[in-house]
This record gives sequence, structure tokens and C-alpha cells, in this order.
Amino acid sequence: MNDEPALPRWLHVVVLGSFFLTAALVGVLLVQDAARPAQVEQRIVADLEVVDRCETCHDAADHPAPWLDDHPVERFGCTTCHGGQGLAVTKAAAHEAGPDWEHPLYDAAEREAACGSCHEAATVSGAPRLSHGRALLAERGCAGCHTIPGFDLPETAPQLDGLRDKVSAAWVRAWLTDPAPLNPVHKMPRFALTDAERDALVAFLFSLDGPALEPAPAAGDSDRGRLAVAQRRCTTCHRVDDRGGDVGPDLTLAGAKLHPAWLGSFLQDTHRLRPTTRMPGFKLSAEEAADIVAYAGEQWVPDADTPWATAADTVDPGLAAAGRALFVDRGCAGCHRAGDVPRTRAAMALDDLGRRHVSDLPQAGAAPTHDLPSWIATKVLVPAAFDVPGVAAAKMPAFTGLSADDAFDLGIALAALRKDGVPGDWKVAAPAATANVPAGEVGALVDRFRCLVCHQLGGRGGEVAGVALDGEGSRVRRDWLVGFLQAPVTIRMDQSARMPVMGISPAEATALAEWIGSSLADPAVEEGATLGDPAAGALAYAARGCATCHVVHGEGTMKGPTLDGAGARLDPDYVVALLAKGGAVVPGNRHPEGGLPEAEARDLAAWIESL
Amino acid sequence: MRDFFRRIRDSVFRVGWPEDERRALMAMRSSFLLHIHAAKVRPASLRATATWGLGLLSLFLFGSLVITGVYLMFYYVPHPDAAWRSMKDLAFVVPFGVVTRNLHRWGAHAMVALVLLHMGRVFLTGGYKAPREANWVAGVLLAILTLGLSFTGYLLPWDQLAYWAVTVGSKMVASVPGLGPPAALLLLGDHTVGEAALLRFYVLHCVVLPLAVAGLVAFHLYRVRKDGGLVTSEHAPAPAEGPRLLPAWPHLIYRELALLGGLVVALLLLSMVVDAPLEPQADPTRTPNPAKAPWYFLGIQELAHYSAFWGGVFIPAATIGVLLVLPYVDRHDQGLGRYWPKERRTANSVFLLIAAFFVTETVIGTFFRGPAWALMWWPG
Repeated sequence: MNDEPALPRWLHVVVLGSFFLTAALVGVLLVQDAARPAQVEQRIVADLEVVDRCETCHDAADHPAPWLDDHPVERFGCTTCHGGQGLAVTKAAAHEAGPDWEHPLYDAAEREAACGSCHEAATVSGAPRLSHGRALLAERGCAGCHTIPGFDLPETAPQLDGLRDKVSAAWVRAWLTDPAPLNPVHKMPRFALTDAERDALVAFLFSLDGPALEPAPAAGDSDRGRLAVAQRRCTTCHRVDDRGGDVGPDLTLAGAKLHPAWLGSFLQDTHRLRPTTRMPGFKLSAEEAADIVAYAGEQWVPDADTPWATAADTVDPGLAAAGRALFVDRGCAGCHRAGDVPRTRAAMALDDLGRRHVSDLPQAGAAPTHDLPSWIATKVLVPAAFDVPGVAAAKMPAFTGLSADDAFDLGIALAALRKDGVPGDWKVAAPAATANVPAGEVGALVDRFRCLVCHQLGGRGGEVAGVALDGEGSRVRRDWLVGFLQAPVTIRMDQSARMPVMGISPAEATALAEWIGSSLADPAVEEGATLGDPAAGALAYAARGCATCHVVHGEGTMKGPTLDGAGARLDPDYVVALLAKGGAVVPGNRHPEGGLPEAEARDLAAWIESL
Repeated sequence: MRDFFRRIRDSVFRVGWPEDERRALMAMRSSFLLHIHAAKVRPASLRATATWGLGLLSLFLFGSLVITGVYLMFYYVPHPDAAWRSMKDLAFVVPFGVVTRNLHRWGAHAMVALVLLHMGRVFLTGGYKAPREANWVAGVLLAILTLGLSFTGYLLPWDQLAYWAVTVGSKMVASVPGLGPPAALLLLGDHTVGEAALLRFYVLHCVVLPLAVAGLVAFHLYRVRKDGGLVTSEHAPAPAEGPRLLPAWPHLIYRELALLGGLVVALLLLSMVVDAPLEPQADPTRTPNPAKAPWYFLGIQELAHYSAFWGGVFIPAATIGVLLVLPYVDRHDQGLGRYWPKERRTANSVFLLIAAFFVTETVIGTFFRGPAWALMWWPG
């Protein structure tokens, strides 16, 4: 027995030590577990497969108003709008992204993408960045290359048939290199093209015949041309030297860019040359067109030599076939009509982009982006950022003229696109928008004068003009409208856009006024109001302080329209409705909402009638 | 009071606290837990280098996996709609959910590694030779079952890692000519990893495979005893002094307890510091690039990348086949019980080369393969 070696001491130490260490570790676990919330508050939104435990720590009653009025937490949960990890009950896990969870809490901007997954309208109240992004989607023609629900192939880019009649090959090359310096309000993105590719595209485009041009007129007079440009109010839509609207292209260098014969023809018969243009059909006389061409050739030219204005105008017709292939491959046909090239989309559909995870998308080496809108913004501004040299090069062009915020807003609008993201009955569809324009003569006139490029009608149309056509029939007198359409005067001095003088004939003006007067009535305006006492109206005008915004007899301020001569313009029924009931105030009109006693409104209407 | 505890303690041993050799021997023979051991052991077998405790550690890990696994089963729901959410419940609301899952996860990885190391140790010391051939075969089967347990468990969290690793693994099965596709169909219950696969993996993981392992372990341990315990070197010099044999109590039992204690502390510490991964919920439409099998299959995935048949099927199948018939073919009985005996240098060199080959392939597959399985530099 005695020769048996004793058990080594270290064995006792290890056995007992590990026993006590285990006990200590279990103690630590018990302490840690005490930090677990005793009671978990959980909210389940079965439709959206959302389980949110946010209310374990947060009280929905503390939520800022008025969001929960329309989006009660009982129905929407929390993460539907806020992101984050709803199942988590620790702050870090619930709020932050980690290897286990990819979606941190949205910031205010990203939340708007969540709005957009249900709200399908172009403009969503309370979500300005989403709305702005959607406007940019339309404006920049994203749907020309990508399938985006709610967006058709854009029609705003010029048709390219007969391009050789319009501009020089050198100008097209310069435009394809970088459109920004040639037109500050350009919509076309900048494509990454080699010189050879540009040559091929030019060869293809210059092989397309366009409509025949008008016979060349005699040389015009540039002074008369300057006057015509001012009288016609070209700058309502066009920019010259950084002033003017941005509906049409910048004209600062148009004299050097456009071939005179083409410009002259275009001004005479705009829609024959470019059926899809947004410009109204002015149908200028040959003489007036020649004057404007002369003025453009004298004034709208570069001060210094620009390469495109002086470069050799060479085209190699042999490259046309290659150019056509490139035209299709780069998605040019998504926005432009050109010859018989079918209009197809050249890039991937974006209808489920919002469900992509940034971690699955290519990463730019230097600056990895973490949230989807930021990733999209980078892709839009610098598509080549995600190129892998020698492996993958983006075909997507760079969208210039967008600020970082613009690009991020685009990202928000696109991140909202989630196929099957929410059940159909959760969707809030865009309000139905139909511009109810009759066919026939009136329809042809509305089309020719491109009324809906500037005016809203039935929720469609542009927003250049401050006045929507809806209800206009109840607001103004028909006689006045006939005159106005022929010679539009400025009613609202506070607005910069002036209606162009399009040369609407008396017969055309009458037809349009008839249509507006009979079809575009405002249901809020009751007809047949009896007028009151003009003298009492004059007193009320002074007592109510109307002169703060209006001018009468040359006195007052021009915040609102001048009321001198308003008797011939305004329908008294409308005046009564505007002043008494308020329902007749159109969007964009800053007039106070009604509220006057009906008798006083009738007095004021009688007084205005007398002005 | 002290007497009260002593009576409990003594009752466990049936013969009282083994305070002298006679009682120790009686305890070893008549106590249920102890009678698996020989009553006396060779001092050489007690050296750490004799086994490195690998087999016993594997057994302890299996035990701990059963215990933690049962706790996890209380909360886990084997359905695609609920499985991943159960993981989140374990992470956020279940008492000790995180540490239990960590213990289970890290224990499972450790068990795979230790079982394979145990097999290597037995090979090097010639422990597969007569009369231990059948036990070697049982060991090889246990290793395969261990991989199966780990693989089936890998799917259960139903996260991206799980889903795609198992998708890759089942594709590897399906790529075996002939038997592969029906075997994969049988395993998944469908052509893709889905609801049926999750339920099958769950049942295999929690019922079928653990019972198979438990049964085979019983056989394995029984045969260790019956085949003469640890394989020993006939050349080992008898100890110059001291006894030729030592009583298993306390010499062996205390070493085993130390091993158990060390394992529990190490595993607990690891599980309290490092959390088991849980990726976003499985999404069949969202394939990670690269999609990787569990680490112990990455060597085979790497080989399959070179050649789907030779690397993905032939080499693994041949390896298992050779391991199974090995004891019946290699019948030299020299140089047993030592790691690098003259007589076994060829055999051990070949074995180590093959093992090194698999380890290298696994390391490449794990750390040096990026998107599209392209070679890439550390770190992954």
C-alpha cells in the first residue's frame, strides 16, 4: 500500500478549482439574467409579419403627433415605419445594425422610403424627400431604362430623326461627352463613351432622315427678332444667361448650336418637325421666324471659341450599323425615338429594389455605403464607383446636375419599391388623375398650345402656371377669357412665369373659352348670386384691409392680382363664393379662406364688378 | 448535518467513500458509474500524452450537448415561419437562452474537432488493430454520426448561414452519381431545403442520431474494456519503481473529473464571451456569394471545386471506405501504443499526409475562398 504514489496535488487543485470557477460563472450568468426585462410588451401585426417589442421600453403615448392618428400603433406596429429590430429588447440590438441584423433604425429621411412602400401617389404629404425623389424619377427618365411601377417610358426626350438638319456632328459629340456645359437644365445623363463610340452614334443618328424643312426665308432682322423673343415670352420656358424657366432647353448658345434653317422651320411648324416636343405650336410667320433666327445668330452665340462650334464636322457613314447597336445597348431608345429603333428598356427592373440588402450589392472600395438610399445615390452620381476593373463596368450613365440630396431622394423613392412588400389592401393608391379634354377641335387646340405642359387639369399637367384649369370656367368671364387667350396679360405680379403669347386666333380663343366656360366649372361656385350694394362693398374693402395685397385705382400692393378692371375679368358668383364660403380657393391661391358674411361678400362682388 | 451529506455520498458509491484500496476496488466494481472502468490501470495509461483525453472529452461534450439541446428544444419550433424567430426569442427573452445556445453551438464544433482528433490519435498509436477492429469501425461510424448531428443541427436556426450551408451540403450529396439524387430527396423530403427538410433535420438531430450515438457509444465503451483498455506498447519499460498497476480510484477518476471540470469552465467562458452567429432569416431568393458548407465539409467543397466527381465524391467516399476496412487489411502488429514507432513510420506518414491534405483544403475553403469561389487573400 505504501508504495502507491499519492495523487498529485495539482489534480485536487484542478478538480476543486474548476468546481468553484463553474459556480462563479453560473453566478455571473444569474446576475446578467437579472437585467432581462421582467415583462415584454409585444405587438403583432400579422399582415406584415411584424412582431415589435419596442413598447417594452417605449411608450406609444409619447409618440409625436399627429402621425399615430392615421397610423395607430395597434395596426402598424413600430418597425413598419421606424425600422430596427422589433424582436430585440436591448437598445443596441433593437436600434443598431450588426452581423445579426442588417436594418438599423431609419433616420427621418429613410423613414420616407417606408412611407412609400404603402403610399403610391407621386406626392405624399409629410414625405417631402420621397415626393421629390419620385418627381426626379419622372424628370430624369429613369423609367427609360428601368422598369419602375407607376412610370411609363418617358416621352420628354427629343426625337432624333433628322438630327443632322438641326445640329452639327461636333455639337453632338460634345453633348455626348458631357451635356452639362451645353445646357445647364439638361435632363440627359452623361454616358461613359469612347471617341470611337461617339463617332458611331453620330454616324447612326445622322443617317436618320427627318421631316423636310421649310424653304429658307429671306434674311431676318435681329432687332425685330429681339422684340419677338420678348413679346412671345420665350423665357417663361427657356433660360438665357441664367435667367428664365427650365421647361425647355437653355438658349444661351442656341444660335451657334442650331442650324438656322432648322430653327426657322421649327418656329414655323414646330409639331411637324417634333411631334412630341413640349413646346407649343406657335406657327410663326416665315418673317418672324427669320427675325428670331437672325437674333439668335447674333446674340445666342459663345463669346469665345468653343471646340464644338469650330471643330470639323466629319461623319463616317460606315459606322452607322455599329452606332445603332450601341444606341440600343446603351438604352438610348428608352427615352428617344429614333428611326425604327424599338423603344425598349436596357437595364434591370427596379420593382423590388427596396428589398435588396446593401451587403449583397457591390461595394465601392473606398467608401462603403450602409443604407440603401445612400448606395443608390452613389450609383446614380458615380455609376463607375462599383466597377471592378477588367470584370464589370457599369453601362449606367452618370446623372449630372443632381446634388447629393437630390440623389439621396431618388434613393428614397427607389428604396420604397418592394414587390409584395405590403399586402395589396395596405396600399394607398395615387388619386386617379385624368385630364378630361374633349377630342375634336378643342382637343387639337389644347394639344397644339400644349396647355397641360404648364397648367394642371384633373390632377395632371405641369405646375409652371399658378392657375389650374379646373374650375376656371366659374372664375372668369367668358368674354374676358377670349381676349386673354389672344393677348395674355399678367394678372399675378408675384409669379415669375408669364403665359407665352402663342398667337391664338379669335376663333381658336372663342372655342377654348367656350370649352373652359361650359366644361370646367367649379362645383363650389353657386351661380346666380344677387349682387349687393357697391358703396357698401367699397367700405368693406377698406375695412377688411384688402389693399394689403390688392391694388384698386392704382393704390395698394401687388401681392395679389390688381383689381382694377377685375369687373370685366371675374365672375361675381366666384367672388361671392371665394369671400363667403372659401371652398372656391384653388391650390396656389393665397387668398384667405372665405369667412365673410354672405351679404358683405355680395356687396364686395358688386363693387368689384364696377371696377 | 455533515453526517447527513456523508450518508448521501456513501450511498452513491454503494460501499462507502473509497478511502482505502480495498474499498476503491469494490467501488470500481459495484458502482454503476465507475464499473465501466477497470479497477486498476497502468500508470502509462494515466499520462496525458497517452490519449490527450480526446475520447472522454468527446463523450463529455456529447453529454453537455444533450443537456443544452433539451433546454433549447423547450423553445424551438421546427417550422420555417417560426424557427428563426425562436432563435431571436432565445437571444432576447428566454432565461439563459443566449448562453445555452452558445454552449450548444461551440460544444458541437468542439465535438466534431475532438472526435476527428481522437480518431487520429487512435490511428497513430495503432489502436485499430486486432482485437480492436470492430471498435475502430464503431468509432468511424461514430465520427460519421457526429458529422451528421452537427450538419443536421446546422440547419435548425433557419438563418442565411444555416440555409445556404445545408443547401450546399445537400447539393454535394445530390451530386453523387446514382445514389446521390434519391439520397438527397430522402434527406430533404423535397428538391430544395424547405419545410420538409427542416422537420426531417430536426427529428434526425434530436431523436434519431442522438439515440444512435448513445447506443454506439455504449458499444464503443464496452469494447474498450473488453478489448483490453488502452492500446499499450509492449516495449514500454516496466516502471523501475512503484507498482505496475494503480487503482482507478482516485488516480484515473480524479483525472477524468479534472478533464470534465476544465472542459466545463472553458466552454462556459467561451460561451459567455463569444456569441453564436445568427444571420438574417433564411431567404431562398438571396444567395450569398460564396455559399459555404459547414467548416468540416469545406475541405470536400474545396475538392469538389476542382472536380465534382473526383473531389466531391470519390475522395471522401474512398477515405471512409479505407478507414472502415483498414483494420482488416493492415495486420502488422508491431509498434503499437506509440506515436512514431519505427515499424509504423510508413503508415503514419501516409496518414499524416492525408490528414494534412484535408486540413489544408479545409483551411483554403474556409479562409481563402471569396465570391464565386475565387481565391482571395486573408482575411475572408
